[in-house]
Amino acid sequence: MANSPLLIPGSADKNAASKSKLSSAVSSNGATPEASSRAGNGAAAIQDIAEQMNEEEKHKYVKGKKLGEGTYANVYLGHLRSSASSFVAIKKIKVQAAYTEGLAPDAIRELKHLQELSHPNIISLLSVFSSKDQNLNLVLEFLPLGDLEMLIKDTEGVRYGAADIKAWMGMLSRGIWFCHENFVLHRDIKPNNLLIAADGEVKLADFGLARSFSDPYRIMTSNVITRWYRPPELLFGAKHYSGAVDIWSVGLVFAELVIRTPYIAGDTEVGQVGLICQAVGTPTEGNWPGVSKLPEYTVPDPPTPVRQKDHYLGTFGTAGHEGVDLLMKMLVLDPRNRITAKEVLEHDWWRSEPKPTRNEELPRKGGGGEKAAEDLKRRPGVLEDERGAKVARKLDFGG
Amino acid sequence: MAPPAITEDERYRTSTQFRLWSFTPDKLLALRTTTNRNAADRVRDAVRRVREARAASSADTSEADGGVGSRAVSAVPEGEVDCLGVEDELKLVIFYCRQTIQLGDYLGVPTDVKATAIQYIKRFYTTNSLMTYHPTTLLKTALFFATKTENHYTSLTKFAEKITGTKPEEILASEFLLTQGLRFTFDVRHPFRALEGAVMEMQAMASGQIPGTEMQGAPGVERRIKEAHGKAREYLKTSALLTDVYFHFTPSQIMMASLLIADQSLTTSYLAAKLPPTDPANALFREKLTGVLHKCEEMLLSVTPGEPSASEKKDLAALAKKLKKCRNPEKLDLVGLQKAKREGDGEDEEKVVKKRKLEREQSAKEGEDLFGPSIKMEA
Repeated sequence: MANSPLLIPGSADKNAASKSKLSSAVSSNGATPEASSRAGNGAAAIQDIAEQMNEEEKHKYVKGKKLGEGTYANVYLGHLRSSASSFVAIKKIKVQAAYTEGLAPDAIRELKHLQELSHPNIISLLSVFSSKDQNLNLVLEFLPLGDLEMLIKDTEGVRYGAADIKAWMGMLSRGIWFCHENFVLHRDIKPNNLLIAADGEVKLADFGLARSFSDPYRIMTSNVITRWYRPPELLFGAKHYSGAVDIWSVGLVFAELVIRTPYIAGDTEVGQVGLICQAVGTPTEGNWPGVSKLPEYTVPDPPTPVRQKDHYLGTFGTAGHEGVDLLMKMLVLDPRNRITAKEVLEHDWWRSEPKPTRNEELPRKGGGGEKAAEDLKRRPGVLEDERGAKVARKLDFGG
Repeated sequence: MAPPAITEDERYRTSTQFRLWSFTPDKLLALRTTTNRNAADRVRDAVRRVREARAASSADTSEADGGVGSRAVSAVPEGEVDCLGVEDELKLVIFYCRQTIQLGDYLGVPTDVKATAIQYIKRFYTTNSLMTYHPTTLLKTALFFATKTENHYTSLTKFAEKITGTKPEEILASEFLLTQGLRFTFDVRHPFRALEGAVMEMQAMASGQIPGTEMQGAPGVERRIKEAHGKAREYLKTSALLTDVYFHFTPSQIMMASLLIADQSLTTSYLAAKLPPTDPANALFREKLTGVLHKCEEMLLSVTPGEPSASEKKDLAALAKKLKKCRNPEKLDLVGLQKAKREGDGEDEEKVVKKRKLEREQSAKEGEDLFGPSIKMEA
């Protein structure tokens, strides 16, 4: 347990290290007690600067009890060394013995994007460090109040109304707007990826399927987004798409919040297309020029005309006229005509009655740490096609 | 609830490229100097340990095999170790970045994969020394890792197969080191899209689609835009990657500087259209911008797109030879070190060490080449 002295006088190294997101936190001025260099059979006391920086990050946190264990990651409660009441969730990604391609795609995607995105409605990645066995540890903000799916499903225990839905939708919309503004597609929006912070704030999590916008000529995979929330263009195999794919998912979260059950829940991809045709209308050359050229375009006969407002009002009337108008714009079949995240935020629904509920007054469910762990230890990028039945879709980096 | 507009500058300032990977030239030099000195000390320490072990083992040969002492004993030269200086390391890094471009060209990966890989290499070597981690292996790891982060993934086996004499485990052995050296930030902001945007805007100005600029209808302006586009792109694909501009300037500044190099008067007209000199509000900003762009231009011109000259090549060959003699003997066998880490030290170490010894001898042989194991490419 040699205390390896920091050989760096400080200036250069400090400059880089202190720019991390937690710059206001402790600045540790020495290596951690457990810092022993194994590479040199204990003989080498001097560490690379990269290793020293890693030790400094690691030293800022104290890992506490295990909150949950999964195949992909274990989640621990942790806190800042400098403040025992500043909780964090430490997601320790397991080294995958079976995966022989190095760091796995989902971990790379999640790290790459969360490192760049800093917004109140996106889960904060506070730090990353490796522990001695080269396991990656993601230090995330601790979100103890579960997720939107829990609230939606607990029809007995949790009652909420139009003002609450508006508050949650507002936070979700701001989060996804920020992603798109930064040229990131989330590609897996669904209620159980929307976590709730202690103060009631909704945070977009799980960036295991996220990617940056593609260049116009580069193709992307259509094999993303959990089926019930997947837009028609992806079900038809489109290789070029935009933020509109996320907006469709946001629309279905909106619908689900209102009716408290998934709105379009197909058993298969073909079934999903069939249900979309019934619920929204059949995509045709008439309402979506070019759709029939998409590689997997097949729709049931005869076509259902695109549903009009009275149809939606029958099911979603509690959201009000403006709310239904916004929902319909999110569920436009042709992605080129679907509302954008920016336009969502400019919609009149936000200005109409009722006002969104304030965070501290939002209904909540005491989920506790176990639920937080449940959400975090899920392998990012694994699509749950049906609740409870987790189906790991094979997703390569090609998209 | 109209969303606030986020300016391009504000967005850039939240990026890890700005927060963690932007330096003043002085700070960057200080960091590299510390890294270099630190590594040189470690090389001397390690060499001393290897020599001590060797001395001990010749006294008691029964224990010679398997300890620290056998770790590439043959690679430890006699006499005082002549370590690379910070300037030496910089020159060599540029050389190996050029090799990365060539390897990327050969593998047919897109420009942004090559560009990202090179920034990974440059970032890695701000806190790691070539004496500790030799670039011939690391550049392959960086290129492979960039195919993953830039959505152009090919399987490791296929990737390794295409590069003669490269085993998949060799590429993976330094992947963790690379990610740690990158401080687990993988996003790199490039100037390529900015250039496409500027070119489209100039074309719109030339055609009058954006009216009222001096470019509108100017004779031969379309041809000049086209030529400037090509030339600027060459600079972005080479000079911008090999120099330190990513550490000191924003992608749009790098793009504008490369356009200035490509066609100064055209770019000046473009700038004038964007920031009319008649507007006094722009005066201070223009002055500042001109200064920044000029500095960036100078830096870009310090490494031109062509091949290095004969004398530069000679210089590089000498440096590569020098590097061969001052490599950290304890970090030669990364595959072995990696396995030991993953398998846990101690267990079956005897067996592992023996198996590894053969591999080490092989890699020591390859290490005799001038630039370390050369990158051979199959047709």
